[in-house]
Amino acid sequence: MTPRQRLVLLGLAALVLMPAVMRIALALPAFGAPEAELGQAMNALVPGLRHVTNMVAAVNFDLRGIDTLGEEGMLLCAVTGTTVLLRGARGESGRERAGHLPGRPVTPRADATVLVCRIAATLTLLFGLSVALHGMTTPGGGFQGGVIVASGLLLLYLGEGYEGWRALIPPPVLAVLEGGGAVLFVLCAGLPLLAGHPALQNLLPLGEPKDLYSGGLMVVVNAAVALSVTGSFGLLLVEFLEETREPADDPVPEDTLPEDPLPDEAER
Amino acid sequence: MTGLVAALLLLTALSGLLVVLARDPRRQVFALSGNGLVLGLLFLALQAPDVALSEIAVGTAITPLLFLATLAAIAMDRAKR
Repeated sequence: MTPRQRLVLLGLAALVLMPAVMRIALALPAFGAPEAELGQAMNALVPGLRHVTNMVAAVNFDLRGIDTLGEEGMLLCAVTGTTVLLRGARGESGRERAGHLPGRPVTPRADATVLVCRIAATLTLLFGLSVALHGMTTPGGGFQGGVIVASGLLLLYLGEGYEGWRALIPPPVLAVLEGGGAVLFVLCAGLPLLAGHPALQNLLPLGEPKDLYSGGLMVVVNAAVALSVTGSFGLLLVEFLEETREPADDPVPEDTLPEDPLPDEAER
Repeated sequence: MTGLVAALLLLTALSGLLVVLARDPRRQVFALSGNGLVLGLLFLALQAPDVALSEIAVGTAITPLLFLATLAAIAMDRAKR
């Protein structure tokens, strides 16, 4: 397709779509206008119904909890797929040394860098834990806490280097966290069904508002999401960083080798 | 719309432009990370602190690292041949 044809296509598409886009854009509430009716209704109803002060958590983990269960499944599938894809091409052997690009100087880490990273990583891990634990009372929750913990793992990598980091972080534990969190979420949704209630029915005592334990079943769902997200993102980091380990003669299973060598390899 | 939000929107557009204009993939990753940080501040100014937390952790730390690891893996694979 030549550039001219592309421009013509763009013009035609704009002509067709513009009226609809303009109509919708002009009908939207003004920028920053706090008048969304659903939001106002949530703010008025949820503290009384669920005893929590974080409306976003109440919506995500209770009122539309089944949607969140689906999102949890998507995250699990995406991370599992990535892991299988990368391990399939790389082999399962755990090589503990980082790779090195020829021609790029290797400067050892300064002590100050290691110290700053250790302090910052500790604070980040604690902050992530706090954000996850206070999911019912303050903004944040399981997902945010989980990704903050994962970025704390990244700081550990920055400070300790690949070898020390891999010694600290065992992928099987991350995989168990990931799958265990998802199973816990499914149990939260399924056990009320077995007892004859709707899925995710909030059967636990709701607790006091603004307390660490408030919101009943939401606390368990929040913990499940936190575990699963921590495991998922941690596993993703390990799998991607393993790609940068020392490239060596990992035995690749015979059946994954291409049948015919690629043309440019045959010439060599 | 306050001045703070207007300034942050402008910064978002500028840092997004930098991501598009950077031609070296590694520079592009750092531009993307900066764009994520500005977006996180914008979400904070728009009173969505939970979205800001996710954006800063995912958009500023984890996604750029995945890109950097991928670029390093590609470079090593080429150096090996």
